[in-house]
This record gives sequence, C-alpha cells and structure tokens, in this order.
Amino acid sequence: MADSIFAFFARHLPYDSAGFAAFAALLKSAVFILGFVMLLAGILTWMERRQSAMMQDRLGPCRANLGRFKAWGLLHFVADAVKMIFKEDFIPPKASKLLFALAPMLALAPVLIATAVIPFGAPLCYGRMTEAVPLGVCALPVEMQAARLDAGLLFYFAIASLAVYGTVLAGWASHNKWALMGGMRAASQMMSYEVTMGMAVMAMFLVYGTLEPGAMVNAQGNRPWQWGIWGVPQAIAFVLFLTAAIAENKRTPFDIPEGESEIVGYFVEYSGMRFGMFYLGEFIEIITSSAIAVTVFFGGWRFPFAGTLAASWPNWLFVLLSVGVWSLKVFLFCAFQLLIRWTLPRLRPDQLLKLGWQRLLPLSIANVVLAAGWVLFSR
Amino acid sequence: MAADPRTAVETVTVIVDGKEHKFPKGMNLLEACLSVGVKIPFFCYHPGLSSPAVCRQCLVEIKGAPKPVPSCYTAVADKMEVTTNSPRVLEIRRQMLEFTLLNHPIDCPVCDKAGECSLQRHYFDWDGKLARNEGDKVRKAKVVDVGKHIVLDQERCILCTRCIRVCNEVAKSPDLTIANRGSHSVLTTAPGQRLDNPYSLNTVDVCPVGALTAKDFRFARRAWELCATPSVCPGCATGCSIEIHASRGKIHRLVPRENPLVNKFWMCDEGRFTYKAVTENRVRLPSIDGKRATLPAALAEAARLLGEDLAGAPQRVGVVFSFQATNEDTHVLLRLALDGLKIERVYAGGRALGGSDTILVSADKNPNTTGVVRTVPPPLRTLKELTRDLATGALTTVLVLGNEALPVAAATPVTVIVLASNKGPLVAAANVVLPIAMWAEVDGSFANKDGLVQRLHAAVPCPGEALPGWEVLARLGGKLGVEMAYASASEVFAEAAGRHGFLKDAVWGDSSRPVQLRFGESRG
Amino acid sequence: MAVTVKVVARPAGIRGHTYLVAVAEGMWVTFRHLMKNFPGNVLGLRKKTDIATLSYPEEKQAYPARNRGLHRLMKRENGDVRCVACMMCPTVCPAHCITIVPEEAPDNAVEKRPRIFEIDELRCVVCGLCVEACPCDAIRMDTKVHAPPTLRRADAILDMEALLARGEPSIATQGGTGPFWREKV
Repeated sequence: MADSIFAFFARHLPYDSAGFAAFAALLKSAVFILGFVMLLAGILTWMERRQSAMMQDRLGPCRANLGRFKAWGLLHFVADAVKMIFKEDFIPPKASKLLFALAPMLALAPVLIATAVIPFGAPLCYGRMTEAVPLGVCALPVEMQAARLDAGLLFYFAIASLAVYGTVLAGWASHNKWALMGGMRAASQMMSYEVTMGMAVMAMFLVYGTLEPGAMVNAQGNRPWQWGIWGVPQAIAFVLFLTAAIAENKRTPFDIPEGESEIVGYFVEYSGMRFGMFYLGEFIEIITSSAIAVTVFFGGWRFPFAGTLAASWPNWLFVLLSVGVWSLKVFLFCAFQLLIRWTLPRLRPDQLLKLGWQRLLPLSIANVVLAAGWVLFSR
Repeated sequence: MAADPRTAVETVTVIVDGKEHKFPKGMNLLEACLSVGVKIPFFCYHPGLSSPAVCRQCLVEIKGAPKPVPSCYTAVADKMEVTTNSPRVLEIRRQMLEFTLLNHPIDCPVCDKAGECSLQRHYFDWDGKLARNEGDKVRKAKVVDVGKHIVLDQERCILCTRCIRVCNEVAKSPDLTIANRGSHSVLTTAPGQRLDNPYSLNTVDVCPVGALTAKDFRFARRAWELCATPSVCPGCATGCSIEIHASRGKIHRLVPRENPLVNKFWMCDEGRFTYKAVTENRVRLPSIDGKRATLPAALAEAARLLGEDLAGAPQRVGVVFSFQATNEDTHVLLRLALDGLKIERVYAGGRALGGSDTILVSADKNPNTTGVVRTVPPPLRTLKELTRDLATGALTTVLVLGNEALPVAAATPVTVIVLASNKGPLVAAANVVLPIAMWAEVDGSFANKDGLVQRLHAAVPCPGEALPGWEVLARLGGKLGVEMAYASASEVFAEAAGRHGFLKDAVWGDSSRPVQLRFGESRG
Repeated sequence: MAVTVKVVARPAGIRGHTYLVAVAEGMWVTFRHLMKNFPGNVLGLRKKTDIATLSYPEEKQAYPARNRGLHRLMKRENGDVRCVACMMCPTVCPAHCITIVPEEAPDNAVEKRPRIFEIDELRCVVCGLCVEACPCDAIRMDTKVHAPPTLRRADAILDMEALLARGEPSIATQGGTGPFWREKV
C-alpha cells in the first residue's frame, strides 16, 4: 500500500522537477503550520489555563465535553474559537478602520511566516522511503523544513520583528489612549529585546559557522551531550535567548504591554476573532521561539540511537519518529514557558528596560566576543 | 447677672448629692433635682398635674427623715440634705421597678408606646435584671374600646393615675378611675360610661406606658420611626403649640408641645385631627378651567385674566384674604394685590365659627385671624359682603387665597383665580387653580387670638407641584409686573416684620430640623 | 495624603542580585504543585490532589449550621404567622429590604399581626440582623437555600405566603420560656 503510493510519487514527480519542489513546500507548510503549529497553539491556550490551575490547586477549564467525550476539557480551545468567531466584531467609532483591521493580521502573519525556516524532522529520502536509510547517506533528501534559506535565522529575525508593527498599529488604530500607551510599551520592549535575542543567536552562528537552522541541526550529534547547549558560550546564549524570547512574546514576567487584569494593553478595543488573532499570534510566538531554542541548543529532531534506528527502520517511519521527537521537545519547552509565566511576578517598565539594555545586551555582546574567542582557540 | 427685683423670690439652699444648690422656696423637690440635672425616675408625677405619690419611683433619702420620701410630694426646705444615688435609694428604685413590672405583660413588640415608654427607659436605666417571678401573671382585659378615640389595655397599666388626673384636672370630666384592689387593680370607666371628653387624647400622651393608646395612631408607625417638628395647631385661634410627628413624608399624629403661655401641656382632640386635611383631598397640580396645566401656563393664564380685567374694569376686581393663611402668604398677597395691582375691593374669610370651651378651644376656627386683620389695612370686607357683591355683579373677577367655601354659582359670570390646597366646590368652579402648600409643609408664622406670633416649621414635603403660597404669589406678581424677589419665607417675614407692628417683636428663630424620636427623651 | 514608598534594598551578592536562584526556587514550587495535581486530576493516576475547587452542580459545599439562607416566617401552633409586626427587623435592616404593614389581629392575646410582609431578596445583604432583632422567633434564615435567580425584579420580592411556605411551627414562647431558638431540639 505505502509502497505503491511512494512509487506513484516517484514516477510522476521526479526529485529535481519544479513541480516536486512546489508540491513538497506546499505540503510541508500545510502539514507543519495547520497540523502542528496551529493545533499546538490551540492546545496551548487550553493548557496555559489548565496548567496554571494545577499549579494553583485549582481545576481550570475541564467542561468542554462533546457528549461523552470529555478529554479533560481539551476541547475548550475549539469552544473558544467558535465563541470568538461568533462574537460581536466591535470597532470603536473613531478608530481607523483599515489599520484596525490590519493590525491583527500584521501580528499573526509574520510569526506564521517565520516558522518556515524551522527544520522539524530528519530528512526524508525521496524514492527510498520504505527502505532503511542510514543517516547522511541519502542522495535525494527532502528536508523537513518549509524553506531552506541560507540566511536562515536572519530571515526568522527579520520576519518575526515585523510583529511589532501589529501591536503598535493596534494601539494607534484603536483611538484609545490606553491602547496607544500599551502599544508604545510593546514597541519599546520588543525593540529592546530583539537586539539581545539576535546577539545571543549570533554567538551560536559563530560556534556553528552557519546561519541555516537545518545545518545547525546537522552540526549537532544524536546524544544529548552532543547537543548545542554544552559549552560556556552556548549555555549563556541559551539563557539570554530564552529570556529575550519570553520578553519578545510579551509574557509574564515581561507582560507589561498587555497586563491583562491591571494595566490596559494595546488590544483593549479588540474583540472576537480580531482579538483571537492577537491571542493566537502570541501562542505561535511561543512555539516558534521554543522551536528555535530546540533547533539551536537542543539538537533539533535528534535523539539517542537515531543512527541505529535510521539504519534499521523504514525511512518514512524513522522520519515520522524524528518529527514526533522534535514535537515533544518543542512541547516541553512550551510547557516550560508556561511554567515561567505562572511563577514569576511582572517587572516594572523601568526594570524591564534596565534589564534589557544594561544587563542582557552587554552580556550578549560579551558572549559574542567569548564565542569568537572560543571558536578561534578551540580549533 | 443682677437679680430682677420683680421676680426675686425667697430662695433656700439644698444639698443634692453633696452639691449645694439654691432653689425658690416651696419648689417641688423632684422638679428641683431635675432642674439641676440630677436624674430621678418617676411615673405618676407630671409637671402639669397634682402629685399623688403613688408610683414610689422617685423616692430619695433626706437627712433626718426616718425613711425615704417621695421627692415629687416634698417641697424643698432650707438646709435640706438630699441623697438620690445612695445604694439604698438605687436598690429601692430597682425593687419598685421590679414590683411595677411584676404583672406587666412586657408585650413591647405589639405595644404602640414602645420606644417612647417610660417603663422601658427606666428599666434599662435603673434595673436591667431578668424577671424572677414564677407562674402566671395576673391577666386583665386587653384591647378595651374605652372611648371614641382610645383603646385601653389594662394589663399594661401601672396604675400611676396620671390619666385620671388629666380627666379630673384638665378636662374637668372625671371619666376614669381605678377599680378593685392589690394586683387586681384595673383602670376603668364607670359601668356604661365612656372616655369621650374633648380632651381624652391627652390621657394617651401622659400615659407612661402603653395602657391607653390612640385608635388613630394604632399600629400606624413605631415611635422611633417618627420625626418630630415643632409647629402650631391650625384648628382654632388659640394656636396650641404642637409637635408634628411624621414619618417618610407622611404625618401620623399631632401631639401637644409644652408652652406655658398658651396650652401648657395639653391640646384638644379636635385639634389632633387637623392633620387629616394635609394628607387628604389635596390639590396637587395646577389647572386651567378644570384641565391639567403646567405651573408656568397656569400662572400666565391667571396673570392674563387679572391683567385684562384690571385694565377693563378695575373696580370690579376683588381679592380675598384667608384667615387660614400664614402671615407670610398674607403679606405677599398684600404687596401683590394692594400695593402692586391697587385692587380696592378687599375681602377676608375663613372657616365658620364653631364650638368653644373655657379650657383651650376657641370659637374662631381660623389660626391666623389676628395676623390677617393686623396685616391688611381696613376696610376688610367679610364673606357675607363678598356673596352680596358677587350676586349683584359688582365683582367680576376674584383672586382667592385659600379654599374656604366661597359661594360661586357656576352660572354667575365671575372669573375666579384660586390658590388652593384642598379640593372643593370653589376649586371645581375656578378658572385657574394654583396648588399651594399647607401649614405643615411650610416655614411661616401664625398670630393667635392673643396676638402671640408663633413659628411653623415644614415637617413634610409639599404634594405634587404645590409651592408655598408666598412663592406662588411672588411668581404671579412677576408675570403682572409686580417684582417681588424672596429666597425664603424668612425674607418675607423680615420684610413683613418691618412693616406690620404686631410682628415687630417676633423672632423668626432657627430653622428647625425634624428630630427623630429615636434620639429624643421618652414622652409621657 | 502623601504617598509613602518603602524602598527595599536589593539583595547582596551575585546570587541575590541576579535572582536566578530565586527564580529557580519559585519554579520548583509551582512545578511541585503541578506534579502533584496534574497526574492525579488530569491523568487520574493518583487519588490525592491539593485541588480546592468544588465542581459546583455535582459537588456541593456542606453549609455550616449557622449559614444564612433565604428568609422564612415561622408559624404558631395553630398555623398563624408568629410575626407581630413589631418593626424590629425593618428598623435594624441596613438594606431597607423589609416592608411590613401591620393590622389588628382577631385574637386579643396576639393583638397585632402583619397584613403585608415583604422581603426584597435583591436588596437583602444577608446580614442576619433581622433574625437577631426578632423578639418572637418569627423570622429565620436557617433554610440554607440561596435566593433563586428571577427573570423579573418583582419576582424577587417574597410576600408573606412565600415566606410562610418554608415556615414551620416554632415552639419558642414569647416572654422567654422554652428552648433558645438556636438550640437544636
């Protein structure tokens, strides 16, 4: 059955044809974004509430049952989506309608686009999918990555930083001074921490000698002690990256732009699915930053005994396993970020900027120098 | 302060609880102690009545006397040493209270007196102990229909005999007595007789407990819900000082207020029901030819009618003053009609004469006849002349203050503008009706038959769109080009006092806020 | 009033200064709770959890004995209302939610009774002062029933019939004999 399907593809879509490249990219994007990112973001919205409830000795949302199908309230994210779609789409009378409508798209689209460069599994060996193919010997590899760009992570930073326009526009277009102030807070915060985030990863560029995330994964080994996190500059870079990523995601302890319950945030005037897009965008940012952290510091899809399994399992099964392992790693990182949110109290804006510019940025620059020295003298 | 030789009397020195005080010779010891702030409880004593010393509650120790003496029955004497708070006195006081309460039903929850009851107050002040009696109390008759206005509860009676003395000494009608002996003593009327004298409701006021209660006030409100406002009874020319007891904008009863110049502690039953006119059958809204109108429209219509008729035939326009109106209303009408509009035909009227007695009730049933007569310069024509003038056609337009039964036949082509408070034939026939407030709703003054000017205080809000008479008249004057700007009744009074001799020595006094009975002393 | 600010000194040393250890400690606390509650509640692996939430319609809190619920009016032995319209409860009521209009009772020994007795459960603040004030054990709040939601405001005003419907004969006698009303008989 599987054989005949693969044979059909191999016959009608040759590896080096343009149709194959387009089809593969489309399929990968669709499967990755719809099947993983969107699904996980939805689950995270439920998980955030449920996990926080567990941490605070509460129950959390556990009631969205579909008849006898209960699933611990997992379907709450479906119910939320339905609710948001059917909710009144309110636009303040004096708001700029075009920008008001544009802002949530600008917040959501870049983070989705930025996921394109993330490798989410071992390469599939085209034409030999049913055979066991040891790692690194495949002639026609199909990278599990929507777009393999040499600029790699630079592309990620370039696109992801566009999200700040969404937040600032939301604050501006709402015709609400509190929303505007929230937007300004968001802008200053995201600008500040982007620098640190980039510098942290720049140290890793020097260590790996490449910008391409797929190549970074290939540079790491299967065993956990062969992953990118080990080493002084890498460990520092990881802490810096994680801190900056949380700040980029505007999450506690850096949730000053939103401050859901106390200080009014930039999306105060948004309701329904427009609000939902901001909300979703934020969770996708969590996934993306977790994915980058996994790719750069935790070996991407790599796991112990991957080499042995690759040489013994059918190739498609092994790829599926590697995708599963990668997903598990990303999921654990997401859970870790949620754990941070429900543990730490919020910083003041001045503390936030002080931490960003006076502590993390000098540290990240020093780390780049350290990494350069490390690379220079360890060779 | 130099002693006035006219009022100088012989004084005696008495030591009360170790402090020396000077009192006029012959003064009642209880009154003397109360006047210097020494608290002594009493039931049977009443400042307006004789002292029988039956309740034994006011016992005090006097040095040299073999046993405690009732202070209400003892006159002060020089070098008397009185102790009112020794342990022995306090214990006697407490024991007397326990004795008084022995057969009292303690049905305070259903008793109308609760909250202003002397027995309650003294119990909390001087006793406060739990009952020790075992077995049943002596049961007596409850809810006895003893008179036209009064319900008697024999169980609650503590046999102080105040009501008996009120009937004997004030009403001069000995209707009540105490029958039987010991625990079975009951207050009662003679067989077949009823407590129906014209001053019967004073027995309710003086009753220290809830034995005698007024049918009119029965279960209407609890005492602590009432607010008391000092005022003057509008029932007759005597002008008894009263307190209006109102609750949530509604008058519930009138009770006499102590005034040694007029009514001492009493008032007649008839006067107590004058508040009914304030609560019933009121004109609430202005109207033109019987149709509802706004106040500005009614004022404009009144001004138009008056103006046209004054321009056409000024000698056929008349103004009618009211003996029921306050001095303030009368003064403003005087300024409007006589000073401003130069109306020459001036009449005055009020309620017809009624019965009188030698105690308090006057035949003149109007509270301010003296005030009106002394305000308006003569000639002041009577209602009889008004009737005649209307019949002969000498009058075609009248401006009427108040709603006395003015004889206006519907057929006679007379224009009537009336400032009325109560509905009646005059209001039904009038061309323009302007609602005005009544005596209980305004600040003002009445002059009684002796020329004594007394203050009224607003106790309840005006109904509907009614305003005080002076305010309506001032606004009507504004429409007719007679400018009168008054911010309050006190300004009207000040202006009137400068013009009319009888008001010259009168004092407006403080504006008085209603006092909630909850925070007052117990009455009775 | 001037705002006073208490300046707390920063903890000394690299450990205190970076807060990294404190952050890790805090995360350990939350993680511990997560690990105790998550397997037990969500996965159903453990019986014992720390979860304090009650799933309301299925689980209900056991009310304490002195819980104050919906009002009720008690009855005499013959089924008449015990209330004598003494106005203690409307007087003491801080929310002014009690309306009583008294009338003459046919029995002279009772003398007074309410013609209208209404409680506006929307205004009621459930303070229980009316029960404290009642000299006749006529009004109680021991029903352990919450004021039910209503579609119209007028429906939340309970009249005497509704209040008596929950009532039962009280054995306390006026004047103080008999058991104290709070004592269980």
